[in-house]
Amino acid sequence: MTLSKQIDDLKFDKKLKVAILSSFTLNGLDETIHVKCSQLGIKYQSFVAGYNQYNQELLEPSSDYYKFSPDITFLILDIRNLLGENFYNFNNISVEDRKSLTHEKIKELKNIIKNFENNSNSKLVITNFNIPYYSSNGILELKSEFGFHEMIEEINNSLRNISKTYNSIYIYNFTRFISKFGEKNIFDYRQFYLGDIQISLNFIPSFADELMSYVKPMCGLNKKCIILDLDNTLWGGIIGEDGFDGIELGHTPNGKAFVEFQKELLSLWEQGVILAINSKNNFDEAMKVIKEHPNMILREKNFASIQINWNDKAENLKHIVNEINIGLNSIVFCDDDKLNQERIKQEFPEVLTLELPDDPSQFVPILKDLNDFNVLQRTTEDKKRGEMYSQQRERNSLERSISNLDDFLQELNITVIIKKSNEFLIPRISQLTLKTNQFNLTTRRYQEEEIRTRSNDTNFSIGCAQVLDKFGDNGITGVYIVKKDENVWFIDTFLLSCRIMGRGVENAILSQILKDAKTNGVKQIKAEFIPTQKNKPAETFLSDYGFMKQDEFWVYNLDNNIKTPKHLKVEVE
Amino acid sequence: MMEDDVNAIIAKVFSISESQINDQSGPENIESWDSFNGLILVDELENHFKIKFSISEITDVKTVADIKRHLKNHNIS
Repeated sequence: MTLSKQIDDLKFDKKLKVAILSSFTLNGLDETIHVKCSQLGIKYQSFVAGYNQYNQELLEPSSDYYKFSPDITFLILDIRNLLGENFYNFNNISVEDRKSLTHEKIKELKNIIKNFENNSNSKLVITNFNIPYYSSNGILELKSEFGFHEMIEEINNSLRNISKTYNSIYIYNFTRFISKFGEKNIFDYRQFYLGDIQISLNFIPSFADELMSYVKPMCGLNKKCIILDLDNTLWGGIIGEDGFDGIELGHTPNGKAFVEFQKELLSLWEQGVILAINSKNNFDEAMKVIKEHPNMILREKNFASIQINWNDKAENLKHIVNEINIGLNSIVFCDDDKLNQERIKQEFPEVLTLELPDDPSQFVPILKDLNDFNVLQRTTEDKKRGEMYSQQRERNSLERSISNLDDFLQELNITVIIKKSNEFLIPRISQLTLKTNQFNLTTRRYQEEEIRTRSNDTNFSIGCAQVLDKFGDNGITGVYIVKKDENVWFIDTFLLSCRIMGRGVENAILSQILKDAKTNGVKQIKAEFIPTQKNKPAETFLSDYGFMKQDEFWVYNLDNNIKTPKHLKVEVE
Repeated sequence: MMEDDVNAIIAKVFSISESQINDQSGPENIESWDSFNGLILVDELENHFKIKFSISEITDVKTVADIKRHLKNHNIS
């Protein structure tokens, strides 16, 4: 508890306002989330509603809760509180009464949510309701007409539908928390009787971890890439010693563990997590397994970067980071060797190094316990990411074969399509502002709601750019937000996903903004570069283009020529 | 043995030094000993001594001496 107060002085580059509203006693949760946020470099501010005050806070537009104006709200409810006495005497009332009671409760919840939607820009995470393992109906519970468990399921189903309707509302599957740890462990009758504590104190840290699954992607702190060793990580044994037919993969108990681990990794890849290899081996020998072994699940096309050589693992990791072009803090390092784990931990503390044990049967549960790959919305770009990276590998090999950069760019046949923000694009635009660190002039982070508000505001022009080339579609990779005053337009945000940097796309987007401004009779464009630890790649962009420094801003006079790169085609939608 | 362990656990839970603790210490004279930290103390003691207190034992505790008395009833010495 005291730790949470001491660490406030540390340096933070992200901040988050969190509100916690609950129907039962949850002391300690606020402090635990505070500590976890601070460890991640997030400056944490919180509002904790009084015991069981959630109705008042959410229904009254002038409540302290709404005044606090949180970024994210956790509404943590319990079924005893919701059903009141009927939690115990559901057998006493008719089927019809059970149904109408259930629908009345659903209406209450919907009413709260409607009020929230009207009064807040926060994201709202609501816990669904645990279905108790016990029912006095005993073995007939599932045979009974609209029984106790079905009532709760009905409420949970309605919550699920609500979360599908509203972008800003998420349901935290509390029933899954209970199935992970067990109702008998989480619910301690003594703590319940002593102080209406319904998640026992022992489990508050685990519960806080679950809620951090939302906090991490909100702050752009989710992991994006898993770097994998091969020997004794993706298969059992050492290929250089045991040979193609000697390694364990499939059939044996250990072999099954490696296959299952690969299947879970593939499943993450299909959701947009990038995979890469970092292995000390003879390249040809190891690649033969990846390409030809009948039980291998992950194949060459699943890896965005393949480093199989005898170099130092840290050096290889650095190489992979450069090739894929992502931040060290979005990487998970997965290697069975304790020395390698130590090496990477020391060299790159930002990387999440897994402590894999020798026993491969523990790999899958360790992977499943990571709650670091969450995204708040899965965009089409996310799902296509794996494919995009293998296209990128092909691009890189073209670049190596053509020595002149201009020829290479010419050869790529790039098309940039500039699109104005719309409902369909808002999630992706917000996502890019949250996670782009390198080519980002101002690193201003915007949640979806903020992008939506500004998209509807005629004083702003918000757009993004889709980039295509001969190898395929790179997806939406650039974003700009311009604030329009009568004579001067101000570039609030300008960013480009790093995998597309250095191909003139940034110049094409910028000149489109300038042309647009000129057409609207604007005299001057004002821009800003706010340096961070990571945005060095964008440092000279404005001056290279011809912007002049004026106080802390960069200014471009629109009487000047507007330069557009010639090697690419620009379309405006 | 048990007495030393109890004092160490109390000091940790309430963030105070062991020298500030005696048998008469309790919520009255240790500022951070509120009902929530009191439950954390119960948790820590139970985990350490591998026992479970009853609700009456928990609500009965007014001083450190009470804790030691209940622990003795659980055959902890």
